[in-house]
Amino acid sequence: MSAFQNGGAPARAIDDESDVEEEALVADYREQVQYEGMEELEPVTSMSMAQQTDDIQSRLAAAAQPLDFSAPLEVKFASYDNYCSLFHFILNSDGPVDLEPPSYYWAWDVIDEFIYQFNSFCSYRNRVARQGANEEEIQILREAPNTWGCYSVLNVLYSLIQRSQINEQLAAMKRNEEPMAVAGDYGSKSLYRMLGYFSIIGLLRVHCLLGDFSLALKTLDDIELNKKAMFARVMAAHFTTYYYVGFSYMMMRRYADAIRMFSHILIYVSRTKNFQKNAQYDSISKKNDQMYALIAICVAFHPTRLDDTIHTALREKYGDQLLKLQRGGPESLPIFEELFKSSCPKFISPTPPDFDNPELNVDPLDHHLAIFMDEVKTNMWSPTVKSYLRLYTTMDLKKLAGFLEVEPEKLRGWLLVNKQRSRQIRWTDNGLLDGEVVNSNDLDYAMQGDLIHISEAKVGRKLVDWYLRNLARTY
Amino acid sequence: MGVPFDFAPERPEHIDAILNGLDRYNPETTQVFQDYVTEQCETKTYDCYANLALLKLRNAVLTVMRLCSYQFNPHLTKDETITNILVKSLTVFPSPDFSLALHLLPPHILTPASASSALPAAGDAPLSEAVQKLNVLNNLLAQASYAAFWSTLDSDDLYADLIADVAGFEELIRIRIALTISQSVREIERAVLESWLGLQGETFDKFVNGVCGWEIEGTVVKVPLNKENEAKGTIVRENVKMEQFSRVIRRAYEQPA
Repeated sequence: MSAFQNGGAPARAIDDESDVEEEALVADYREQVQYEGMEELEPVTSMSMAQQTDDIQSRLAAAAQPLDFSAPLEVKFASYDNYCSLFHFILNSDGPVDLEPPSYYWAWDVIDEFIYQFNSFCSYRNRVARQGANEEEIQILREAPNTWGCYSVLNVLYSLIQRSQINEQLAAMKRNEEPMAVAGDYGSKSLYRMLGYFSIIGLLRVHCLLGDFSLALKTLDDIELNKKAMFARVMAAHFTTYYYVGFSYMMMRRYADAIRMFSHILIYVSRTKNFQKNAQYDSISKKNDQMYALIAICVAFHPTRLDDTIHTALREKYGDQLLKLQRGGPESLPIFEELFKSSCPKFISPTPPDFDNPELNVDPLDHHLAIFMDEVKTNMWSPTVKSYLRLYTTMDLKKLAGFLEVEPEKLRGWLLVNKQRSRQIRWTDNGLLDGEVVNSNDLDYAMQGDLIHISEAKVGRKLVDWYLRNLARTY
Repeated sequence: MGVPFDFAPERPEHIDAILNGLDRYNPETTQVFQDYVTEQCETKTYDCYANLALLKLRNAVLTVMRLCSYQFNPHLTKDETITNILVKSLTVFPSPDFSLALHLLPPHILTPASASSALPAAGDAPLSEAVQKLNVLNNLLAQASYAAFWSTLDSDDLYADLIADVAGFEELIRIRIALTISQSVREIERAVLESWLGLQGETFDKFVNGVCGWEIEGTVVKVPLNKENEAKGTIVRENVKMEQFSRVIRRAYEQPA
């Protein structure tokens, strides 16, 4: 695990060969899982430290412990206070705190749990305010508006990032420079560096939960999404990152990029699932299903060839739904809704609830869903139109309108919409928000008066991938 | 093409500095952002990334207001700025900017007016109504129902108020519509195009000839060929690189049979 603490660039002599890398990563993950039980046997580096440090160590460990979902309000309040005092201690002591994190994935666990508790608290508070039934709890929540406040959480994450100079360090690493040169007093300590690093992932998540999808992607500017990235060494972090990046892309209508993200992580999970046996696997398998549902949505918007593994699993899990989504039309709307609802993150309302006007406390999920469904409705005729156009090279618009039983004017609109939506921004290089406009449709057409000229882009058979894979298997 | 989402050529340095720092959550910068939005409206420039930051800042301000039980400077949450941002983002359709802005508004904003107008205390009812009206426009544009877009725009005085601050709104929208048309059309009947552009007679001729550079021939308007409306069939072939085989080749050296 020392490679991680040395700055995340494992000193393995491998080139940019993703297969080799992936194998190494898989092996590494297997090792983590197997050694998990031996944690306690490892000698604690701070043996010689004073009693006070032991106390801190137990607080550090406690911060990473999951809180029971059904815990009463007082416990949630207390947990918030604990986080506040812990982060206050870490951030605002005289100079950097001299502590070693209990384990290398501790920092992720803390940030993850911190955000999870924030998220579930907000959902709970919103629900209480919406239902307006439990007077006692309303009173408690009304009197403590700052507890688990959205801006306190953002503040913690931003502060951890700034203190650790992690963005500067990552930028230096990208330029192949020594990160320690810009790390400063705080950032050179592994505690701060790791907390800072995972706070970036945490920020990605919080922005996404608040509905700010572009800022969510912008947050990862300094992190390179590849298998050498630091987050890839912690399975849950790896997984979470790709889920939120993929979801943000989907909401920005960059379906090709979203599919790429989801596919990447799902393939990785399918390769490692044989040795995931702990409790963590339950949460992963739930998110796994959610990502398959999201892929189904994206594929409906942007028909494309999926990786074989993904395609098979998708058909197994969501075969019927996928078929309906791909057929489009009004019948597909409830399916879109159902899949979106079951697989989106638990959105948070950006403002605290208004206890005096319960009607105003709409579930943020409904808000985001409504906006998303408008886009679905805009697109819902594209599959129908395309299925007809595919059959002809030229076609009279009025005749086609007759087939479809719509007004010619309406059909013209559909044709324009389909053309617009097939122009998508796709990532090529640099930051996640960058990209180029590409034509993602294999069907192209143009209207000359009422005559539609149709042409198809045929894709030649792709043999190299198949050939290489089989070669690797036998040789 | 290939311009990053967060890039705006005309963005002044001080705005850039705020966007990249923690001041993007500082209520005191609201005024700076509001001035910047006004400037965009006047100069026909557009900076989505900065505008989204203002919408986010507004939520921060609303939160503070609620925490201090509304004893906060109300001018900080000027509704006009919000609607101006939305109107501006209409002018760049079919990009997702309008939706991205909607996602950042409070969740109750899209609930039907009947529920919120009954509550004058909520204070948000006029904004809510305006946002919903603009959302109707956005959906019409997204669905390429351009004729319906122009008639809806004319149907209500509220729309005239909403777009009043944005210089050249109709012109900007027309250019966008023309752009999407040029993607899929080589020839189009004059009557259809008139309804899509919301223009008639001489102004129509002037726009089509002058701004778009298209030709009017009798009752037909001809759009010159471009990359998008060519619709040429192609065969995509696989691009094989030597590097893809490097592993196989190396294996051959590593394990001599």
